[in-house]
Parts: sequence; structure tokens; C-alpha cells
Amino acid sequence: MTVPDATALAAPGNAVSAAPAVRFIGERSAYWRLLIRGAVLLAFTLGIYRFWFATDVRRYLWSNTDVSGDTLEYSGTAFELLMGFLIAIALLIPLYVGLFLAALSLGEGGELISVLAFPLLFFLGQFAIYRARRYRLTRTVFRGIRCHQTGSALRYAVCAMFWWVMIVLTLGLAYPFAQSRLERSKMRHTYYGNLQGRFEGSGFSLFLRGFPMWLLVIGPLVFAIAYSVTSVDWNAVASAASGATSVEGFIGQLESKFPSIYVAAVLSIGAVAASIILAVTLFPVFQAMTLRWWLSGLRFGGLTVRSRLRASQIYGAYLRFLWYGLLFTFAAGLIGSIGFVAYGFALSHLGKTPGSEIAGAAGAVVFYVAVMLGFSTIYQGTVKLALWRCGAESAEFDGAGALDRVRAQGAPGSPVGEGLADALNVGSI
Amino acid sequence: MTTGPAIYFDGLTSARHDVTVEATPEVLRIRAADGAEIAEWRYQDLRHQSAPDHVLRLGRTGDTVLARLEVHDPTLAHTIDEHADTLDRTGAAERRVRTRVIVWSFAAAVSLVLVGIFGLPALADRIAPLVPLSVEHKFGLAVDAQVRSMLNPGSSKGPFECGLAAVEKPGRAALDNLVKRMETAAGLPIPLKVAVVRRADANAIALPGGHIYVFQGLINRTRSADELAGVIAHEIGHVANRDGTRSVLQAAGLSFLFGVLLGDFTGGGVVVIAARSVMQKAYSREVETAADRYGVRLMGKIGGDVRAFGSILGRIAGGEPGISILQNHPLTKDRIAAVNAAAGDAPAPAQPLLTPAEWADLKQICG
Repeated sequence: MTVPDATALAAPGNAVSAAPAVRFIGERSAYWRLLIRGAVLLAFTLGIYRFWFATDVRRYLWSNTDVSGDTLEYSGTAFELLMGFLIAIALLIPLYVGLFLAALSLGEGGELISVLAFPLLFFLGQFAIYRARRYRLTRTVFRGIRCHQTGSALRYAVCAMFWWVMIVLTLGLAYPFAQSRLERSKMRHTYYGNLQGRFEGSGFSLFLRGFPMWLLVIGPLVFAIAYSVTSVDWNAVASAASGATSVEGFIGQLESKFPSIYVAAVLSIGAVAASIILAVTLFPVFQAMTLRWWLSGLRFGGLTVRSRLRASQIYGAYLRFLWYGLLFTFAAGLIGSIGFVAYGFALSHLGKTPGSEIAGAAGAVVFYVAVMLGFSTIYQGTVKLALWRCGAESAEFDGAGALDRVRAQGAPGSPVGEGLADALNVGSI
Repeated sequence: MTTGPAIYFDGLTSARHDVTVEATPEVLRIRAADGAEIAEWRYQDLRHQSAPDHVLRLGRTGDTVLARLEVHDPTLAHTIDEHADTLDRTGAAERRVRTRVIVWSFAAAVSLVLVGIFGLPALADRIAPLVPLSVEHKFGLAVDAQVRSMLNPGSSKGPFECGLAAVEKPGRAALDNLVKRMETAAGLPIPLKVAVVRRADANAIALPGGHIYVFQGLINRTRSADELAGVIAHEIGHVANRDGTRSVLQAAGLSFLFGVLLGDFTGGGVVVIAARSVMQKAYSREVETAADRYGVRLMGKIGGDVRAFGSILGRIAGGEPGISILQNHPLTKDRIAAVNAAAGDAPAPAQPLLTPAEWADLKQICG
């Protein structure tokens, strides 16, 4: 479940009480223990352990999210996830064999298959995302009542496909409208018992708030492109390129034919760098803004949610990530260089053999995997947890009484969607 | 008997009931605040549900609804735990199951790695000779397009392939002459397609379907037609032994295996994987040695200098540490020794494979 999805379920609460509607009661140290243990086991089992790891993480997050005295419960099991994955693999193998055979029989056009397969896999991925959401909702129990999701995953996948094409075509400007539409269709089909959800966040209001950021990030890029198209003398560049025999010759010719080349280069590169730096520094603001907008758009029957999430909370999480990441990089660098020196020492004494080369390569692979898992663990322990926790605790309710008279409805959904999402690399917590 | 407060949800509605629980030795009795009995749960039906650390959350097996009983009182929770064998409050049973899961997952991972290291190459060895030539041909075309786009450095000095411009035509003719003699002697079941491409590293590669690419960098560093012929003969050895097909099968199998394992099915299309595997030339020592032996025999058949391959090999591998593409190959010294041993004491041929004029043309194949 994505972080926002679950906080939606934390929506029920007691409007009368002065205490915050949602509290996160988990201890950070327990979560870190879970993450580190999981990362080590993931490495040793080449990822097979991920079904148990994901289940542990969900259990921790769900059961430590407290809504006026009652905590959520995640009732899914790792074996369900494993079965879902195996079934998904069985469904995907024919597809892959088909693509393989198509690539073979096309001969020269075979590489096109890779291109054509992308939209197909993307579509399947969106289908899987919707189905996986259904699985997670039906394994989410609150006050003895489970959530569930209706609606057609195919229909959702078609909509998602359309909106993602729009997002790409408009350089991201369509993102708020896409989010609002897709969230509407997801929430309309989301139920807590017999209480139907809906989403009232307006795409336009998110657009208005996000547009200045978009301008700051895209603006310099557009400037760089426009500037290099209009003021760079491309004829001079082309003639220099065709007339020169070496890189030095090319630059020499360019300097004589187009003297302001350095100004142009510095301006364009500077603009692109500015765009990247702005994108990185503004990302937490964007994330906080989207999460706040999303939470404030959630409705369950008569219940409305408001969120006062502050961007500084998300910045704090990213700063912690950077700090821990820095410490980890330092430690990993130290261990890596000791290993490298030891390897070199062993080589010089034992001589270079194919065995020693394989051992060196294997050591490098193990080191790489350990470093990647380390960063992923730090990210989950800082940013991911903060998004969940701050998102949940920022929620305020109106009309929470609607949650006290909910009747049970819905049946458990199949885990195949989770398996598909896993196999297609679109899975999440 | 222990009695204590608890929170009860009946599974039908979300209403929260503050109840009193009586943990008798026989049964768990749930009473409302006014003393009326709400439910009676048998201990063998009780199941532990995920909850925060300080809460015992109970459900029942075989229940059609998700009725829940939440006990916060540690004494009461302890008593219930004592009475019910099915409960696992300390998590000891869960830990036992988890240990088994970890052991088996680890065993599965080891087994899959072993399949990847030993099983797949053996499988590819058996399957590669069975792949019909028509299939290999088509596959060669598909991989060829991909490899070309990956290799092409985008030089502005002319098309990727050398020998097309008017000044390069004589070089192309000389190459064709050389390749034709080798192809006739080799008697391959598929036609060879040899091309020189504009790429600076000193290397040559063979793809499935008889495609051989000689890089411009290699042409520049060869000192005689026989040295070039030696490299081409080695690559023809790969074609004859169908090593390209074999490595593609192996790479496809490996990516599939790890796709299953790591749950990553999106790691590029088959053709891309195949092209990459051919380019990496991660052939084993045995495969390279076999291609070397084949090359030596072929050079002998066409009356070329068998030792020439050894000298170009030594020059490429020795001269530019780091840049050498041959670093994937088995130790070059051993290979050169093996080539020279295979050559025996056969005298060097009286004349080179190409006339000095033809060789001069061939050196200019990239303009």
C-alpha cells in the first residue's frame, strides 16, 4: 500500500476527543531492527525473503497506527504473497515466451518487440497496481471490519495509461488532473465495511499550487533549449564538425567561426544545472504538498479529512536520510577500501589466477549489493516512515461519528495482483 | 479464573464494546458492562492477530466474521495464553516457522545460483547445436541491428561500416578476397557476413547467424594480413561452434532465472539481453580455447602464418592495460603458448595471405 492509501484507512476517529485523530505509536528502534534484519535476510536469500519482509513491515506500520484508541490490523500473510507471486509468474511466462518467439520470427525488426513490449508491460503494471490495492485493502481490518475495493482493474489500467501519456505530453502539467481523476476512481470503489469512500481533491487547486514549482524546474530547461536554438549558430557548429579531423581541431574551428560559444555553453549548462538543483531541493515541498492535498480530499460517507502537514517535516526526514547516508557511505568506503587493499595484497602474494579473479568479482558484487540494500534500508527508515507517520498524524476529522455505525461487507481479495505487481516491479509497501 | 476488562468488536458492526472477560479453565466468557453474556470462545479456536506490542488481539478460526477481542491487561493476557495451546504470544512458534522459511529460502537461493553457474551453461551446450540454422539466421538479424546501434559511437567521419565509400572499395575487395578463401576452407553451413566498423578499440566479435565485426582499431594495430586473418579465423571458430547462440541462450536463461528470483521481469527485452551478452563476450576459457584451436587449424588449411594470431594477441593484450577488451579472455600468455604449440614446428609460409598491394588497400578500408 502506498503511504497515502493507508492513512485513508486511519481516517475513523473521535471528533469529540481533543486528542489527535491519528497517532503513530511505533518505536523507531523496533522498525530499524525489522528493516536491518530484513535487509540481511534479503541479501542471503537473493530476495526470496521479500514476501516475509513486506508482511512484517506492513504488520508493523498498520498495527502501530492508532485511531482514537483502536489500531489497524494487517491480516495478510507471507504465504499468500508467495502464492500470488508464483501464480503471477505462471501467467507471465507464456507472455515472455511469446515476446521471445515474436522477436525471433521478426528477424531484423526483432528489436521493435522490446519497444512494443513496454506499453504492454506498463498497462499490465497499472492493472496489477489496482489489484494489489484490492488485496491490501481486504487485508486491512479496523474494529473487526475489513476494507474492500470494487471496480474493474482493466478500466483503471486504461484510464491510468491515458493519463500517463497526457502527463508525458504536457511535461508534467497534467499530473494534478491525472492524480485527481485516478484518485477519484480508486476512492469511489473503496469501502470501509459498507461505508463508501470518495475523493474530493480538486486537480485545479493542486495545479495552481504546483505551477510555480513547475515553472522553476522546467523554466531553466526551456530557456536552455530556446537559447541554444536561437542564438547558437548551428551552421558554424556543423561546418566546424565536418571540417575538423580531431576534437581539438573542432573546438579551434568553432572558436574562430562562432566566438561566443563559451558564453552559450556556460549559459545552457548553468540553466540545466539550475533546473536539476531546484528539482532536488523542491521535491520534499512537492511531496508534502501532494500528500496534504491528497489527505484533505479523502471522504468516507459523512467523514471529511483535513491535513496540516508541513513541508519542514518532510525536509527533516530527507535531512536525516542524507546524514545517515553520509555516515553509511563513510563506513562503506572504509570497509570497501580495506577489502580492496587486502585483495591487492593477497594477489601480490598468491599470484593472479582465474580463481582469484572470480573471487574478486564476487566480492565486488557482494559489496555492491550490501551498499544498495544499506541505502534502501536508510531510505525506508527515514523518508518512508516519516511520510507514513507525519501524513497520518497530520490528519484531522470532521463527522467521525460516521465510522461508529459501519456494517461488515466485502470478501478477501486474491493476492495474484500483488504477485503481478511484484513481478512487474511496480509493487510497494 | 482471571477476570479483566477488554474491548470487543463483534465483526458485524464497527461498534466498540467495553466488556469484561472471564478466563475460566474451559472457556473464555465475554460479558457486557451490564453483566449479560455476549459470547463464549473456546480456547482451541483462538488465533493471535497482529497488534501493537502491549495488546493481545484475538480472533477465531472458522469465524465467518472478523470478531476481535483486544486485551490490554497483562495478567489477563497471560492467563488466556496459558489456557490456549494455539496461541503464540511469545512468538516462539512463529520464530520456529520463520527459521525454517529462512533456511529453505537460503537453500532455494543456493540451488538457483548453482543452476545459473552449472546448469544453464550445460543446457545451452546441449541446446545450441539443436537450434535450426534458419532460426539462428533470423535471430542473428535481430541481434545484429541491436548490436550495431550499441557499438556505433556515432562518428561523424562516415557511416558506421567501413568499405562503402569509393576510396574504401579496394580495401573491401581485399577483405572479401581473404574472407572468401577462409570461408571456402571452413565449409560453414551458414554464409559469413564480415564487416569492418568504425570503432577505436582493437577487437572483433562474432554474433549468431555468421555476423563478424572487425573494429577499425584492430585493423590499425595489425602488421600483416596473416595477423588479421588469424583474428578472423578465431571468430569463424566461434561461428562454427555456434558460441553466439550458446551465449545468447545462456544469457536469456540467466535473466529469466533471476527475473523469477528477484521478481524483476522488466529488465529489458530478450534482444537487448542477447545483444549485451554477445558484446560482453563473456565466453568461458574452454570456449575461447576451442575457438583458438579452430583458428589455428583454419589458418593451416589456407596456408597462412599460424603464429601470427599469437603475435597480434600479445600486442593487443600487452600494450594497453585497462583498455584491452581481451581482459575477459583466459590468460593471454597461456593462449599464445597454446597457439604456438598447436603450430608445431611448421615453417612460416613463404608469402603472406594477401599481396603487399592488397594489404595496403585493406589497411585503408576505413579511409
